[in-house]
Amino acid sequence: MKPPQKNLALKLSTLVVVTACFIVMGTSLLISQNFKNILTMWGEDVQMTVYLSQDISEQGRKSLEDFLKNTGKVNTVTYINQERALGDFRTQLASYAPDISRDDELLKLIPSSLQVTLASNVQTKDQMQVLQSLAADLKGKEGVDEVSFGQDWVEKYGALVSAMEITMELLGVVILAASLFVMSNAIRASVQNRKDEIVVLEMIGATSSMIRTPFLKEGALLGFISSTLAVILCFVSYTGFRNLLVSKLSFLQLGQHLAFITPTSIALLIIGGTAVGAFGSYLCVRKINDGWAASQG
Amino acid sequence: MIEFSHVYKTYPGAIHALKNIDLTIDKGEFVFLTGPSGAGKTTLFKMISAYDVATSGGLKVAGYNLAEIKDGQIPFFRRKIGVVFQDFKLLKDRTIFENVALPLRIRGDKEHAIQRRVYEVLEQVGLAHKHDQYPEFISGGEQQRTAIARAIIHQPGVLIADEPTGNLDPRLSEEIMDLLERVCAQGTTVFVATHDHEMVKRRKKRTLELREGMIVGDTK
Repeated sequence: MKPPQKNLALKLSTLVVVTACFIVMGTSLLISQNFKNILTMWGEDVQMTVYLSQDISEQGRKSLEDFLKNTGKVNTVTYINQERALGDFRTQLASYAPDISRDDELLKLIPSSLQVTLASNVQTKDQMQVLQSLAADLKGKEGVDEVSFGQDWVEKYGALVSAMEITMELLGVVILAASLFVMSNAIRASVQNRKDEIVVLEMIGATSSMIRTPFLKEGALLGFISSTLAVILCFVSYTGFRNLLVSKLSFLQLGQHLAFITPTSIALLIIGGTAVGAFGSYLCVRKINDGWAASQG
Repeated sequence: MIEFSHVYKTYPGAIHALKNIDLTIDKGEFVFLTGPSGAGKTTLFKMISAYDVATSGGLKVAGYNLAEIKDGQIPFFRRKIGVVFQDFKLLKDRTIFENVALPLRIRGDKEHAIQRRVYEVLEQVGLAHKHDQYPEFISGGEQQRTAIARAIIHQPGVLIADEPTGNLDPRLSEEIMDLLERVCAQGTTVFVATHDHEMVKRRKKRTLELREGMIVGDTK
């Protein structure tokens, strides 16, 4: 007759708890990464318009373009001449003020400009400072009428990015600590349940490594299975959420900017999960030499 | 085989668990240890099995000087002794065969040698026919015989038994004591802690009486 599998329920519940912890970690990573993607997408809209004076020569304009490109902080410099600027203006206002948009005198009022986008190596938190510095340099140059970069929007955007980064980092630390705590307790309960086995093994002369190794292997396996399961479940949830965004909330246009956690992050999560499982077990069995005392209790 | 030399054991808070224990138990001797609860019997057994160390004095067991033993040597020392508990300490998810085979597996014996020796010892304790049973499905007496089989399978020089009949009825207790005497007859030193004074009187073996951490009687 086989003995009742008392450990099975505990092992399953430990697996569920640890998997849940990894799901929370994976979800946080996923949200954090996609927030960064969306913020980066918004960041691509950060640009500067350099309005040029009516009398600027072609050479003067080219020299301004060269100056901007040589700063190393600029990605593209696009020249918008008066005709194109007027065309854009008319397109934008056609439905609101058709009379104004047909006024030929407007050509004289709308200046030509240089549209400047920042290089990708300029971090979000530095965008404001870089734009201010470029604007200050440009204002003193010949042929420049005015420099505009939506100062208010960039400031708010920068503050939002900083706040998001700090929040995600704090949240990450809290979630990681909570997950480790829960995991360690789940593993501890599992080890505690096998205390009798440890006592017997000690009593008959098993060395510490003989006793610890099976627990470490079991912890590592638990961590590996849990983290792998968590990645799979996160992927399934992510795919469902993304499909929902694409089909039902397509007007948000966020679908194409969402991405699952990177292969490196997946590898780190699984390797880290395996290590955490083994380490959690180690913490529980590192002091095991209490055989007789335990046996009397 | 067991040699205490002026052993004292004091726990924090000036609790004197053992005081000036000075005794020798020879190879092949059968000795009872009696005394009320809290007299120091468990402390004495903890020291003999290297779960605790003396505050002062010398202790030698099975050729090991336990006053100077290093942590790394303790598992190897324990392979030279056998221990039997009142509550048997059998692994419930392993068969009788697997429980008894454990010390040999720990020692790294070959499988065919393990098979041969386990059946030999199970025959000796009268449990060969129950080799594939699990502990929960055999009687208390059979569980204790399994525990004794596990304690003697590696032919230890010393067998210590802490209240081995504490959970058994008088008939089973006698069976277990008979078995321990047979083990002793094969040359193993047997040291048994018990509260059963009637049984101690009947067996007419050397008896040590421990009170308040001191040996107050020795029938040697």
